[in-house]
Amino acid sequence: MRRAVKKGLLAGVALLLVGGGTWYVANREHVSAFQGVLSAYTAKEYCSCRFVMGFSEKYCLGYARQYIPYSSLQEETDARRVTVRGLGLSSTATWVSPREGCHLIPATTP
Amino acid sequence: MSLHGGRSALAVLALVLPLAVGAEEWPDTEWPRSEAQAPAEALRAFEAYTFPPRNDEKPTGVRTDAVVVILDGHLVYERYTGENRVETPHLTWSVSKSVMAAVLGVAFKEGRFQLDDTVAQHHPPFAAHPDIRMRHLLPWASGLAWSEGYEASPLKSSVITMLYTRGRDDMAAYTASLPAVAPPGTRHVYSSGESNVLSASLKSMLGDAYADYPWKALFEPLGITSAVWERDTSGTYVGSSYAYMTARDLARVGLLMQRGGRWKDEQLLPPEWVRMNLTPFEHYVPDPRATVAEAIPGGHWWLNRAFKGAPRPWKDAPEDAFAALGHWGQCLFVIPSEKLVIVRYGDDRDKSFRQNEFLARARAAFVAGKGAP
Repeated sequence: MRRAVKKGLLAGVALLLVGGGTWYVANREHVSAFQGVLSAYTAKEYCSCRFVMGFSEKYCLGYARQYIPYSSLQEETDARRVTVRGLGLSSTATWVSPREGCHLIPATTP
Repeated sequence: MSLHGGRSALAVLALVLPLAVGAEEWPDTEWPRSEAQAPAEALRAFEAYTFPPRNDEKPTGVRTDAVVVILDGHLVYERYTGENRVETPHLTWSVSKSVMAAVLGVAFKEGRFQLDDTVAQHHPPFAAHPDIRMRHLLPWASGLAWSEGYEASPLKSSVITMLYTRGRDDMAAYTASLPAVAPPGTRHVYSSGESNVLSASLKSMLGDAYADYPWKALFEPLGITSAVWERDTSGTYVGSSYAYMTARDLARVGLLMQRGGRWKDEQLLPPEWVRMNLTPFEHYVPDPRATVAEAIPGGHWWLNRAFKGAPRPWKDAPEDAFAALGHWGQCLFVIPSEKLVIVRYGDDRDKSFRQNEFLARARAAFVAGKGAP
């Protein structure tokens, strides 16, 4: 009986590994791109919240928060630049001009 | 005179101009004002629904940032909450698409493109899709693969990829890189990518004049002074998502549409263009599983039409009502038959805000004769 349970468990783990692996291979492109979403989204929307809409730091921290927490957010108020690190990647958004608001700086550095 | 004080706003709105019969009012630098005809009970019901107590720590429920109501060209009501002010240029998210449609309407009037032009004529990356025409992009019916999920399905969301990762440097080129899954013009799939392809097409048509064009073509004629429009790295205005303006200024776009594309003495948008905006996409199929009826796609605007057996989405508003709608509850409603324009900015993080409920209560409060018991 115990051996049967063990066997079942092993099969389950194997199935999970194979299934998870297959899912990862099928979605690899999406997964690797998704890794950058958290920092990019937070940097861009926080930058616009602060420097386009003109809201306070406190409000914008709540406004740009997602269900996955980022690891750091650095606002350079005078330069109107925001750098966010999350899921191991970092993104910077910067204010451009009164008409054009904020945009993400192209390079995403690991 | 500042009006952003919450409930005191109504008191301040006491008559400035009586509604002269037959006279057509337009906003100059300020909106003309008029006393709200709101029955007190109906107004309380409107405010109770629209402005419930709000908690920024736990963002649930209806979270309205701003409301501006225009009746027959007069500002009759406005209210702002939290850090929102009269002068706040609020993010409009996908309301930007309908604003971009108005900008395109001016370019159309100037003869810069025809609806039957291929997109490839104006945006070279569409050489891969030679049969897709400008008219197919307006009701979001290019036939290209697209997934417009935000928080619910972020992994495979085309819009998130476009705005924040692989697509963000050139959003229109990213859209062009997607495969075709249906013949052009046969199937509606709501796509922010297509709105950015329209914006990029305009860039090619205009060259150096593109940078100033939204201002020269639309914002300055309408007296809109607060607009901000963010661009992607390639310089394309993010027509899908990133226009900002005050609620009062967005109401000007509403008044333009309420009056058939005419601003004062100038037919800014050709009647043919506005007709296209307000015509339901013929192959649209209402989703029978939708728990809340969805507005019918027109040409970059959303319509309150009973369509193919489905009831109209805002059953408590007339069938000529239409709207520009954006993420997190941004709304610009226009009801020409009632001369009503309503801007509602919000920060709704769940699905509790109901457009129909909001419109029903707004009409009871602000449209004469609709508030009577």
